[in-house]
Amino acid sequence: MKHAVLILGALIVILPFYVMTSYSLKSPREIETNTGGFFGAQEPMVNEYCVKLGNPREACVETPFIFNYTQAFKKAPLLRYLLNGVIVTASIFFIQVLIALPCAYALSKLRFRGREFVFSMVLFCLLIPVHAIALPLYVMLGKAGLTNTYAALIIPWTISVFGIFLMRQFFMTVPDDLIDAARMDGMTEFGIIWKVMLPTAIPALLAFAIFSVVAHWNDYFWPRIVITGDRDLYTPPLGMREFKGDADGSIWGPMMATATIIVTPLIVAFLLAQKRFIEGITLTGMK
Amino acid sequence: MSAYRANAGYWFVAPAIILMIVILIVPVGIAAFLSFTDYALGNQGFEWIGLKNYENIVTRSSYNKMIWASVTYVLVVVPVSIGLGLGAALLINSVKRFGDVYKTIYFLPVMAALLAMAIVWEFSLHPSLGMVNKTLTSLCGSWVEGFFSWAWLPWADPANSWYAHGCKNGFPLWFGDKNYTMGTVAFIGIWQAFGFNMVLYLAGLTSVPRELYQAADMDGADTAWDRFRLVTWPMLGPTTVFVVTITTIRSFQVFDTVEAITDGGPSKSTYVMMYAIYEKGVQQNLMGVGSAITIAFLAFVLILTMGQRYLVERRVHYS
Repeated sequence: MKHAVLILGALIVILPFYVMTSYSLKSPREIETNTGGFFGAQEPMVNEYCVKLGNPREACVETPFIFNYTQAFKKAPLLRYLLNGVIVTASIFFIQVLIALPCAYALSKLRFRGREFVFSMVLFCLLIPVHAIALPLYVMLGKAGLTNTYAALIIPWTISVFGIFLMRQFFMTVPDDLIDAARMDGMTEFGIIWKVMLPTAIPALLAFAIFSVVAHWNDYFWPRIVITGDRDLYTPPLGMREFKGDADGSIWGPMMATATIIVTPLIVAFLLAQKRFIEGITLTGMK
Repeated sequence: MSAYRANAGYWFVAPAIILMIVILIVPVGIAAFLSFTDYALGNQGFEWIGLKNYENIVTRSSYNKMIWASVTYVLVVVPVSIGLGLGAALLINSVKRFGDVYKTIYFLPVMAALLAMAIVWEFSLHPSLGMVNKTLTSLCGSWVEGFFSWAWLPWADPANSWYAHGCKNGFPLWFGDKNYTMGTVAFIGIWQAFGFNMVLYLAGLTSVPRELYQAADMDGADTAWDRFRLVTWPMLGPTTVFVVTITTIRSFQVFDTVEAITDGGPSKSTYVMMYAIYEKGVQQNLMGVGSAITIAFLAFVLILTMGQRYLVERRVHYS
């Protein structure tokens, strides 16, 4: 009985993934008539667009799933979008760590006047969701002439107060002896952060990496706002939306192929390292 | 020596402080400031118009619809996704086998780009091509119609049931009919969010001490419902407070599904706040109104989070 309920739930959860994968493999005719099973019959089909370009029909025969996936890359610069996604998510994570680790170290292990004040500032900033203040940020970036640049995609996310908070909590548990020993060896405070603290923080950092990468690879709202028109800067979700914008009905196959390509990297990574991912995504639960 | 360290401390926090001020605190101030003006990007100056923008939000029907849409969405998605999350966690915790498999499957939507999945859902629910309506139609006249038109209930009128109606007059245009659109968008929100809540509840369940169940047992809590009511639910108090807060804040921020599928329509039934900010501010360049909505939004979030912190400090459990 319990399993029946759980299986029913699982079927509903999986339904769109099934539709997406299956239709990315089928020919337009099979999509229209809802035939062909999961994989489609893969009968050779005629690429009408290729015929319209003046090629003879025989030269335009293709296998449906190859047609869908090649169209996904041909109709739009999907490869470029994916590359942009990697550049943006990687830069964001890299800068977040670069800013957050020293701050977290200072807040947990160094004594200086105003430390409590800085920490309460971090706690205050935790209240502000960056998406909510998108409009003023957009005005500021516009005034600085930065809209439609990589900088606009990256800058608002360079400060992760959550990252600072998380790493500070983690550093509090690192014994002071470890740091004192490093100081005895003549290490600078700056060196301690990267050579002593960073290695001990790998598990926490990995969880934070997953949290950050998933959020920014999948983010649609922010790119939608600051990137207007310049296709070369589109991130994968934005490219997917654009694809839908000029879809003409017969394009569902390639569109589902695009969706599959965008969604697959994180899903595969998740399936390979489930424990770590669930830990990372639910990190916010530690607040 | 400690002076050197204190100095290093200032250097280490300086970049973070500057960014916090420039990226998080100053924008809130700018939004507050602009919300009293009629500023538009590209204009040289602006007029000071006092509370006019806020007045509009309160009085104009399109903004009333906006608040209504956001609140409806939140009031549907939060309880249902939390209920389903808790239910799934309890069920998974109680089965002996395949628990991990269900957990993995339920968590998949959390990982997938919502925008892409929204488009897939839109396609699945397409009135003529979509899988859902096709399947519903193909089952008309079969036992499934009989079952879901409640023909087996003596007091029901199968000919007037939802399913029979759909078989005769066609199934709903999920995203074209304003009676269904909000529900369908909320359904996608629930589909995406409940796995996340489930995982938080599973983590919460592991921290419930076994002895408490034994103690409850001795005190005469025999049924599963008693055990849940007396032990599990109170012990999950802190988790619930957190889950409610984060789900509410996230639901208020819904944007992807609305922008990709409905554009706030039909007749503003899904005109949620984030979409309104985007439409007014970015598309129509009405920064004043957009900023006023932003401030209202931040106020909502602030109240919620303050409420959460208050409850956490009161330690919402009985141990």
